[in-house]
Amino acid sequence: MNEKIYLTPTPVRIWHWLNAFGIITLVLTGAEIRFPEYAQVLGNYKAAVRLHDTAGIVVTLSFGLWFIYYAFVARNLLRLYIPSREDIQRGMIRQAVFYGYQYFRGGPNPHHQTPENKFNALQKTAYAAIMFVCIPLVIVTGVLMMNVSSLREMVMAVGGLRLLIGAHWLVACVFCAFLFTHIYLATLGHTPFAHFKPMWTGWEEAEDPSDRNT
Amino acid sequence: MSNSSKRWVHRFIWVTAVVFVLAAPWPGGRLLAHAWDTEDCQGCHADLSILEDGGGYLYVDSARYERTAHAEVGCPSCHESVNEDHPDDGVRPSRAKCGECHDEVEAEYTESIHADNATCTDCHNPHEVKPVGQVSGAQMNRPCMECHEEDDVVASHEAWLSQTTRHIRALPCITCHTGSKVYVVTFYVGTFEERAGRSPRVALATHEELMAKAERSEGVTSVIDRDADGRVSVEELRLFYREGRAEGLQLWGMMTPEVATHNYATMDNRWDCSFCHASGPGVVQKSFVALPGPTGDYTRIPVEPGAVLDALYGTPDFYMIGATRSKTMSLIGLLIVAAGLMVPLVHGTLRLLTIRKRREH
Ligand code: HEC
Ligand code: HEC
Ligand code: HEC
Ligand code: HEC
Ligand code: HEC
Ligand code: HEC
Ligand code: HEC
Ligand code: HEM
Repeated sequence: MNEKIYLTPTPVRIWHWLNAFGIITLVLTGAEIRFPEYAQVLGNYKAAVRLHDTAGIVVTLSFGLWFIYYAFVARNLLRLYIPSREDIQRGMIRQAVFYGYQYFRGGPNPHHQTPENKFNALQKTAYAAIMFVCIPLVIVTGVLMMNVSSLREMVMAVGGLRLLIGAHWLVACVFCAFLFTHIYLATLGHTPFAHFKPMWTGWEEAEDPSDRNT
Repeated sequence: MSNSSKRWVHRFIWVTAVVFVLAAPWPGGRLLAHAWDTEDCQGCHADLSILEDGGGYLYVDSARYERTAHAEVGCPSCHESVNEDHPDDGVRPSRAKCGECHDEVEAEYTESIHADNATCTDCHNPHEVKPVGQVSGAQMNRPCMECHEEDDVVASHEAWLSQTTRHIRALPCITCHTGSKVYVVTFYVGTFEERAGRSPRVALATHEELMAKAERSEGVTSVIDRDADGRVSVEELRLFYREGRAEGLQLWGMMTPEVATHNYATMDNRWDCSFCHASGPGVVQKSFVALPGPTGDYTRIPVEPGAVLDALYGTPDFYMIGATRSKTMSLIGLLIVAAGLMVPLVHGTLRLLTIRKRREH
C-alpha cells in the first residue's frame, strides 16, 4: 500500500527552510562575532556582522510567516505544538523508551502521524520550546542588541546588556544543540531521507504510516 | 607704606635694574625678557581687564596654565622678544616654534599626510596643553571637529564602518588615525536628560555637576570611588550604575590611546574590525574612570586590575562585541552544544551496532 498524505503545507515548508538556513548562518557568523580570534568563518568581521544582522531579520520574518500561517490560516498551532495531557502522562515516556530502546530492537514507532497530529510527544515538547520560547527570545534580544543606543531604556528595563548578551548566546547554543539532534533524528525514518522529502515536497509517502520515527 | 620706605624700594629697583643691564651679556634683550617672569605677564594677561585691550585671545587662564607642563617653561621662554616696553613698543611678541622643544613630534608630523592641513597650534593651545591621559575623548576630538564636520565624517565612514555614530561616539578620531600601540578603555561620567519620545541626551558631566552629587569633603572622585582607595572595584562600578541612574548620571565608555602619535596615517588594521573586536589582552589593556577637575583636565582612577573585562561586561555603556564576552557563559554554552552533539554520536553508534538486529524484525 502506498498511502500519501499531505503533511507539510507550502508556507510551513518555506518557513522551515528559510529558518533552517537562517539559523545555520546565524550560528556560524555568531561564532565568528563572539570568537573572532578562533572562528574565522568568513574571515571578515564586518561581513560576519552584516550577514548576522541580515540572517536575523530573515529568521524574524519567517517566524512571522510560521506564526501567522499556523495561528490564523490553519488554526491548529496549539493542537499541533502543545503536548496534550495524554502526551505528558504517557506519550513522552513511551516515545523516550522507543528512541532509547525499542528502536534498536526494530520495534514500531508508537506515534502515528496524521496532518492534525504530526508530532509525537517529544517532538511537540522540543518544537514548542524552540518555537515559543527560544526563537522569540533570540529575536527580542537580537533586536535590542542591534539598537542599543536607541532602545537603551528598554535594554535597561530588561536587565541590561549583560543579561541580553548572555541570553542571546545561551539560546544560540541551544539552537546549535537542537540542530544536531533534530537533523539526526530526522534520519530515523524508514530510509534515512524519508523525512526530508516531505519537508521539501509536502507529501509524505508512508509505506507504513507507523514508521515515522522522528 | 611710609614715604621713606617707598623711596627705598624705588631705589632698590633702580639699582637692581642697572646692575642687571650692566651684567647682561649680549644679546641683552633675551635676559631683559627674563627679567619679567610669568607672574609679571599674568599680572596683565590673566586679568580679565585685558579683554578690553584687544579681546579674548590675549587672555591666558592662569589656573589652566599653571596645571600644564608648559608652566615650567614660563612665558618668557616662548615669547622671548617681550621686553619692558611691552605692550607699548608696538612690537608683536615672538612665539617659540613648537619644534624647538618637541623636535621628535615635529619630525613625525611634518612627514605625515596631514602636515599641510593643520599646524601645531591649530590643534593645541600652547597655554592649555595636556597629556593625552588628562583629556576626555571629546576634548581629543575638539580640534578635529574645527575642520572636519561630524556629519561629513559619519557619512564618509559609514561606507565601511557599521554602527557609525556609535563608533564615533566611542572612539576618538586619534584612536584610528594615529599609531598608539596601547589602548585603554576610559569611562567618563555623563549626565543624561530624558527627552519625551526620543533617546536621552547624554553629555559629559562637568566638575561642578559632579561636585553637586559628590561628598564635598572628599572631592569629585567620591562619586564612584566610594571607599577612597584610589581604585574602582567592579562592585563600585555596579553600585554607581544602579544609583547613578537615579541621579541622572551614567558612564560613557571610550577606547582611547595611551600616547598620541602624530603620523596621521590611516592605520590599515583599523579597517580590520577584529583589531578592536577581539578578546583577551589584545590592544585594550587597562580600564580607567576619568573625572574632570575644576580646570577641565581629567584625573584617571584605575579600575581594579584583573577585573577589567568583567567591568566591561558589567556595563551597558560600553559594548564592544567580541571583546566583552564572559568566560563562564562561553563555557556553559559550549557544554550545551556538546550535549546536543552527544545525541547523534551515542544514538548513531548504537544504531550502527544494532543494524543487524533491526533488519531481523
Ligand atoms: C602691562 C600689562 C602687560 C604685561 C605685564 C604683559 N603684557 Fe603682553 N600684552 C599686553 C597688552 C595690552 C597686549 C595687547 C597689545 C596690542 O594689541 O598691541 C599684549 C600683547 C601680548 C602678546 C601678543 C598679542 C598679539 O597681538 O599677538 C603676547 C604674546 C604677549 N603680550 C605676551 C606677554 C608676555 C610673555 C608677557 C610677560 C613676559 C607680557 N605679555 C606682559 C599687556 C601686558
Ligand atoms: C610653550 C610655549 C609658550 C608658553 C610657555 C607661553 N606661550 Fe603664549 N603663545 C605661544 C605660541 C606658540 C603662541 C601663538 C599661538 C597661535 O599662533 O595660536 C602664543 C600666543 C600668546 C598670546 C597671543 C595670543 C595669540 O593667539 O596670538 C599671548 C597673549 C600669550 N601667548 C601670552 C602668554 C603668557 C602670558 C604666557 C605665560 C603665562 C605664555 N604665553 C606662555 C607659546 C607659548
Ligand atoms: C621651550 C620649550 C617648549 C616649547 C617651545 C614647546 N613646548 Fe610643549 N612641552 C615642553 C615641555 C618641557 C613639556 C613637558 C613634557 C615633555 O617633556 O614632553 C611639554 C609638553 C607638551 C605637551 C604635552 C603636555 C604634557 O603634560 O605632557 C603638549 C601637547 C605640548 N607640549 C605641545 C606644545 C605645542 C603645541 C607647542 C608649540 C605651540 C609647544 N609644546 C612648545 C616644552 C616646550
Ligand atoms: C591635527 C591635530 C594636531 C596637530 C596638527 C598636532 N597635534 Fe599634538 N596632539 C593632538 C591630539 C588630539 C593630542 C592628544 C590629546 C592631547 O594631549 O591634547 C595631541 C597630543 C600631543 C602631545 C602629547 C602627547 C602625549 O602622548 O601625551 C604633544 C607633545 C603634542 N601633541 C605636540 C604636538 C606638536 C609639537 C605638534 C606640531 C608639530 C602637534 N602636536 C600637532 C592633535 C594634534
Ligand atoms: C586646521 C584644520 C584641520 C584640523 C584641526 C584637522 N584637520 Fe584633518 N584635514 C584637514 C584638511 C584640510 C584635510 C584634507 C582634506 C580632507 O581630506 O578633508 C584633512 C585630512 C584629514 C585626513 C585624511 C588624510 C588623507 O589624505 O588620507 C584625516 C585622517 C584627518 N584629516 C584626520 C584629522 C584628525 C584626526 C584631526 C584631529 C586630531 C584633524 N584631522 C584635524 C584639516 C584639518
Ligand atoms: C574606527 C576607526 C576610525 C575612527 C574612529 C575614525 N576614523 Fe577616519 N578613517 C578611518 C579609516 C580606516 C579611513 C580610511 C577610509 C577611506 O579611505 O575610505 C578613514 C578616513 C578618514 C578621512 C579621509 C577620508 C574621507 O573620506 O574624508 C578623514 C578626513 C577622517 N577619516 C577623519 C576622521 C575624523 C575627524 C574622525 C573623528 C571624528 C575619524 N576619522 C574617526 C578610520 C577611523
Ligand atoms: C578602533 C576600534 C574599533 C574598530 C576598528 C571597530 N570597532 Fe566596532 N566597536 C568599537 C567600540 C569601542 C564599540 C563599543 C561602542 C559602545 O558601546 O559605545 C564597538 C561596537 C561595535 C558594535 C556594537 C554596537 C551596538 O551597539 O550593537 C558593532 C556591531 C561593531 N562595533 C561592529 C564593528 C565592525 C563591523 C567593524 C569593522 C568594520 C568594527 N566594529 C570596527 C571599536 C571598534
Ligand atoms: C539544516 C537544518 C535542518 C534540517 C535538515 C531540518 C529537517 C527537518 C525535517 C526533515 C523535518 C520534518 C520532520 C518531521 O516532520 O518530524 C523538520 C521539521 C521541523 N523543523 Fe527542522 N530542520 C533543520 C533546521 C531546523 C531549525 C534550525 C529549526 C528551528 C529552530 C527547525 C524546526 C523544525 C520544526 C518546528 C519542525 C516541524 C515543522 C512542522 O511541520 O510544523 N528545523 N525539520
